[in-house]
Amino acid sequence: MRATEGADRGLGSGDAETSVALVGAPNAGKSALFGRLTAEYADVSNYPGTTVETTAAALGSLRLSDTPGVHGISSFSEAERVTRTAVLEADAVVNVVDATQLGRDLFVTLQLTDMGVPTVVALNMMDEAEADGVAIDVDALESALGVPVVPTVAVTGAGVDKLRDRLPEASAPESTPIDSYYDALPDGVDATRAEKTLLVEGDEPTARRVGVPGLATDGGDAPLAAVGEREAVYRERRTRVRSIVDDVERVAASERAPEERLGDLLLRPATGIPIALALLAAVFYVMGVVVAQRVVGYAEGVLFARYYTPAVEGVVAGLLPASGWAAPVEFLLVNDNLGLATVTVRYTLGVLLPLVVAFYLVIGTLEDAGVLPRLAVVTDRGLGRIGLSGRAVVPLIVGMGCVTMAVVSTRMVGSRRERLITTALLGLAIPCSAQIGVISGLLAELGVVWWGGYLAVLLGVLGTAGVALDRTLPGRRDALIEQLPRLRLPRPTNVARKTANRTAAFLGEAAPLFGATAAAVSTLDYVGALDAVVGALRPLTAALGLPASFGRVLVLGLIRRDFAAAGMTDLALSASQTFVGLVVVTLFVPCILTMAMVLRERGARSALLVWVGSWATAFAVGGGVAAVLEVIA
Amino acid sequence: MVVALSEVPSDERVELVDVPDDECRARLLRLGLLDGSVECRRRIRNGPVVVRRRGTEVALGRSLAREITVERAPRDGAPQ
Ligand SMILES: Nc1nc2c(ncn2[C@@H]2O[C@H](COP(=O)(O)OP(=O)(O)O)[C@@H](O)[C@H]2O)c(=O)[nH]1
Ligand SMILES: [Mg+2]
Repeated sequence: MRATEGADRGLGSGDAETSVALVGAPNAGKSALFGRLTAEYADVSNYPGTTVETTAAALGSLRLSDTPGVHGISSFSEAERVTRTAVLEADAVVNVVDATQLGRDLFVTLQLTDMGVPTVVALNMMDEAEADGVAIDVDALESALGVPVVPTVAVTGAGVDKLRDRLPEASAPESTPIDSYYDALPDGVDATRAEKTLLVEGDEPTARRVGVPGLATDGGDAPLAAVGEREAVYRERRTRVRSIVDDVERVAASERAPEERLGDLLLRPATGIPIALALLAAVFYVMGVVVAQRVVGYAEGVLFARYYTPAVEGVVAGLLPASGWAAPVEFLLVNDNLGLATVTVRYTLGVLLPLVVAFYLVIGTLEDAGVLPRLAVVTDRGLGRIGLSGRAVVPLIVGMGCVTMAVVSTRMVGSRRERLITTALLGLAIPCSAQIGVISGLLAELGVVWWGGYLAVLLGVLGTAGVALDRTLPGRRDALIEQLPRLRLPRPTNVARKTANRTAAFLGEAAPLFGATAAAVSTLDYVGALDAVVGALRPLTAALGLPASFGRVLVLGLIRRDFAAAGMTDLALSASQTFVGLVVVTLFVPCILTMAMVLRERGARSALLVWVGSWATAFAVGGGVAAVLEVIA
Repeated sequence: MVVALSEVPSDERVELVDVPDDECRARLLRLGLLDGSVECRRRIRNGPVVVRRRGTEVALGRSLAREITVERAPRDGAPQ
């Protein structure tokens, strides 16, 4: 036993940097409190799990971090692992408890005190508790828990000063009923109280790290011998939660709140699916039509084409001498495909910026209102057929606006496996709005039968690829256990601040990445490597029954998807050739920006899988369609 | 009467008596859904089941709901 444990944890430890973590259930108000406690603004939202990394900021001499919301300290998901690590590393914890959900949230509180983590409880959402007719005896709760409890309303700032003042009182009771379970651990385990608690709860990463003989198995897969204990520990803790709640909480009978009736409508398929469809149509309209076509069209066609690009080209031509060494530099800066000073800037500011702002505004509003998890519930059944859960609905719809933004939004999707499937489907078979515009033009000339055929091919590929990935990727589909947040009226200031923060963060990362990619591709173009690729593609285009010039279209498609589709309008093709070409162009690799984003979000292996998979699928399906058309003709 | 959660009509109160998967059981236990009866708020045909206990609403996927065994409260709604 470590008798001196209190000395190496807690705010009095005198370390150079003392760290405090905000821990609690999704939507308990951690990020809102974080924003109140520090000058920094954390991402606030009404969608469980949108905080996927910890954010940290200075609070006086302390370092405060916001963590992903969890219902317990364990390792059942990515978010839980992040939070568990943060709790183990923190000197103290502010446990944010939703006062309207005392019976749910005190589990984490008791788990923290069992672990001996110095804790202060922020009893948040006191305004909503009052509105619900829930009265909580704060003093009684404080003595039952043995740690300070401060009532707060994070959105108004009520109680926040008191919370800041009482931070130094963070403490944990000397002993709790968990102690009796420690006997089950083998003798001589060198672990802190926090680690011991996680060990008796069968937490595999802790067992591996502490290296308990006989508990941790090298195979990694075999369950800890202590799983039986976990159940007993959890049940005992729930018993304590129930008795505390019975003692401190009084609930007045209340009538059904209006938001509850709205929640009912969203969950009833007869009304929920039309509402979901209407919302999704609105998202698509804003993202795909208003912004992706009108705003971007104006920015590109007028602002950049008429004013910016000619001006920059003039400046570059004026500055650089006409001598030999300047030619490659000039090409790098102003070439028509991906010039660093022209096209790259145009994409970043004229295309990406409006899309990013629109996307975050729309998503932020839906998040703040708490409707996203409900959309996930009503669409779960349909998406289940292609290996996804309802959580993937938002990325797929956003994808029809802009696949790049959709890749970013896959963060909302549960497990790593499901995120990969969603990303792959997005890259493969979801045409973005820029492409949809050009494609519909070409298909309209062909007629309605070809339209139907095109949709059938795409849906077929989407379904087949989803099922194939679901069957082949390791791991299994996650069971959907989705906590539904309370519906709230979105707060415009919240949404606006969130949009500004996320947009800045996104562009800060995406712009340099895109610049580097553009420079690399321009270099390849200058040395003639792109032409070599067109040459190498000749056998493939021939196999599809398409002219060699189609190779040029594909190379443009590597850069931007609508370029490929637009390039096809210039080729003289028969109806069936156009159809095959459109199928190939749609299934072909995502644009360069999307790939940059896949690389950032999913890593090199996934990016390669998506890229190579798109090549293979595009040509395999295109070849198949060409063969079928030949037989029919 | 003992049936699967996926078979319970909306608005009925049930007790979740058996959740076969260890991890899912631990997660439901933490949320307090195994502490006595829950209200089956909505069952979406061939889709998830939404259960509620004291204002906490949780959607459980179809495949999970099929594995969970529940005990249905007596019809007259008297406390068990
Ligand atoms: N009425 C009310 N709403 C709150 C309070 N604290 C947070 N919220 C809202 O609850 C939602 C979730 O808050 P957030 O800070 O994102 O929770 P987190 O998931 O724990 O980070 C947001 O819509 C907030 O505006 C509060 O004390 N009262
Ligand atoms: Mg948050």
